[in-house]
Amino acid sequence: MQKTLQTLRSQRRNRFRILACIDGTEDSLITVRFAARFSVQDNCDLIVLFVRPIDSGLQSGGLQVRLARENMLEAGFELPGVTHLKQALEALRQEGLDVGGWPRESRRSEAWGDPAGDNKLEFASPGGRTVVLKLKTAPDVASGILDQYELGPYNLIITGHPSRWTGELMAVFRSGIVQTVTTMAPCSVLVARNSFDKKGFFICTDGSPRSTQAVRRSAVLARVTGEPITLFSVAASPAGKSAAEDAVANAGALLKAMNIPVAETRVAVGRPAEEIVEAGSLYQVIVVTDEGRSRLARLARGSTATEVVRKARTSVLDVR
Amino acid sequence: MKPEEFSLARDSLQAQEPSAGLRRFRRRGYQRFLAFMGDIDLAFVWKRRWFVITMVVGFVLMALPTPPGLTHEGQIVLVMSIMATMLFITEPIPLPTVPLLIIVGQVVLLRADPTKVAQSLMTDSVLFIMGSLMLAVAIVRQRLDKRIAWWIVRMTGTNVYWISFGITAVCGVIAAFIGEHTVAAMMLPVGVALITLTSGDPRKVHNLAAVLLFSISYGCSIAGVATPSGGARNAIIISYWKDFFYNPADPATRRFLMDYVTWIVYAFPMFLLRLPIVTALLIFTFKPEVTDMSRAVARLRTQVSMQGPMRASEWLTILIFALTIVGWVTLSNDLGLGIIAIGGASLFLILGLVRWEDINSGVNWGVVLLYAAAISLGVEMKATGAAAWVAGSVFTVMREIGASDALGFNAVISLLTIAVSNTMTAGAAVAVLAPIVLKTAVAAHQDPIDAGFITAISSAFGYLTPAAQPAFTIIYASGFLKGSDFFKIGIRMMALSFIVLMAISVLYWPLLAP
Repeated sequence: MQKTLQTLRSQRRNRFRILACIDGTEDSLITVRFAARFSVQDNCDLIVLFVRPIDSGLQSGGLQVRLARENMLEAGFELPGVTHLKQALEALRQEGLDVGGWPRESRRSEAWGDPAGDNKLEFASPGGRTVVLKLKTAPDVASGILDQYELGPYNLIITGHPSRWTGELMAVFRSGIVQTVTTMAPCSVLVARNSFDKKGFFICTDGSPRSTQAVRRSAVLARVTGEPITLFSVAASPAGKSAAEDAVANAGALLKAMNIPVAETRVAVGRPAEEIVEAGSLYQVIVVTDEGRSRLARLARGSTATEVVRKARTSVLDVR
Repeated sequence: MKPEEFSLARDSLQAQEPSAGLRRFRRRGYQRFLAFMGDIDLAFVWKRRWFVITMVVGFVLMALPTPPGLTHEGQIVLVMSIMATMLFITEPIPLPTVPLLIIVGQVVLLRADPTKVAQSLMTDSVLFIMGSLMLAVAIVRQRLDKRIAWWIVRMTGTNVYWISFGITAVCGVIAAFIGEHTVAAMMLPVGVALITLTSGDPRKVHNLAAVLLFSISYGCSIAGVATPSGGARNAIIISYWKDFFYNPADPATRRFLMDYVTWIVYAFPMFLLRLPIVTALLIFTFKPEVTDMSRAVARLRTQVSMQGPMRASEWLTILIFALTIVGWVTLSNDLGLGIIAIGGASLFLILGLVRWEDINSGVNWGVVLLYAAAISLGVEMKATGAAAWVAGSVFTVMREIGASDALGFNAVISLLTIAVSNTMTAGAAVAVLAPIVLKTAVAAHQDPIDAGFITAISSAFGYLTPAAQPAFTIIYASGFLKGSDFFKIGIRMMALSFIVLMAISVLYWPLLAP
């Protein structure tokens, strides 16, 4: 069993896997549209995930809800979430990813003693690309998304943006779904907003090795998806402006070496998060590098990446 | 490089290795914790707070040193009674769970023989309660309500005062034998029909609705003590008298084997005396908007005539009911109340007048269990000396406050019972209080028969809220009455009932004593 899992994971590491999370709202389908635009190669797997909390808990009548669910299933009613996954499929079709003719395979597995369990419908293209619709059952939604990562792994998780973010202090105790996922996910996370009317990747760098890696990898994504690249760096004070210019120049040189064209380079002076949010609002995606700080470390030292994710008016890719 | 020369999997964002080992174990543990927390409902815990408080109070009281004069077993039984009372009053758990806990407690805490505990649960009184409920379902299923109502108005005419009196009297007479909630459930449709036939807008006839509906509920309530079969509380007291005082070797104690007729002689006057009071009080409290109900009566007559003549099943129902009452009156000394009740219910089933499924769904079996366990606990209170110990303490207090004479004694135990029965079901109040009251009567040199009647009758004086009595709850469900209506009439009725009871206890009952 363990060996099979290892084999499966090593195979998956040769693929670009995107996990698009939806919650049933129209806005959340933006994640599916982004995923469709990013999964342009045959080595891409796109998993659309809807997490349904377990039908238990005495708030909703406990066992009775479970029994009612069983009756509904026996009567042929759809599970909650199936409709939303169908909408996701339609969104994919609109983005040019029509899986209608692809061979499909469905699978169901027991999860948390829930009568519905986990259900997935997998479409595989002749070229090797796969699209999976997954209806997952979990104790809570954030935990379900993170658990799905463990089954992956994934290169990118895409979530919608929440209506509000909890402050760093409160987040130590309790935070929303998106906030939990962005904080805890081991891979890069795109917090998607409706920014399809804009163009380009606004890639931020501070010149650190971690940031340089992020620039390189996000630039490849931009190149493959045909988006123009803008390199940006912020100096906290005028004295640091030259260092910021060097960071942008180095990033530009790196990309030039990779034969990836850079449309524009920009440098600003001020508070990094504010400058990034302000300048990046004109682009489709802002790319920031995650500092890899824990919740407590962020509480003590803050995090530019987190602040940008929260405050931006466009989609933000938090690269890890 | 051209875009197609890049491999997203190799060159773009990377997938980190999923957590393994300890981290995976922690993550799964966290998810299980989330699932567990999902099952914990703080509101649910809050609703159960009185259960937790009761358990804590119980364990603390049991751990305290045993008071002088009380055995350790007596202490445990007393604490169990206190815990049961707390659970009866606060109802943090389904009521039938309390008797289950009492049964478990008797075996686990008192080290009682399980077989003996099981035997103590099924007495003739419990059979009687069970049989009465089964009879009640069988009778209600026959839908005799409109015929009874038509019979009432034929006797009383169309004046609302007389109709009110007629309803109270007839409901009372029936409820004296088969249980108040049964009659209330049976007659409520008639009351509502009379109201709606009078006016299409219930708000315009609110006072009339109050008079008619309270006539039903008070008729049922005041008659519930009139005969032994009127309510569970009566059967419980009869059972206690026998268990506590009857000694086959002593002929003088034969009076504690209370028979049906003797009970009627003692308690029926409480019904008869209060019958005119109820109507007068209702008319005085709620001045009805309409006094002539000829229009409603005419419509009722039409509805009854559409039912056609009495069917054979209806005649059979009346026959079996009459036979059962005759059996109670004449044979209960030899056969026991319970056997006759069960025999009557069996007849209904044999003749196909009611289906077992209807009885099964119509009877609240948890109530039977409740009374069985409460009686069993009461017997244990006597056996362990707990009742006598509490009675001694209560009597000392009563002597200090100058309530040691007959009237003072009766007043104190009546008020105590009223107070308790306004917070919990009457049967449970009697089951918990009666052992103490009866033993206190012995200590105070008062007649335990009188004390038992005071307790049983006073337990029916819970008139203040819609939830105080089953009959009240049923008529409240019609939606014609407000909660404040119950208090407005209830406080007056309670005061008058108390005065009538005290008068009977000092003027009438002494005449019946040997």
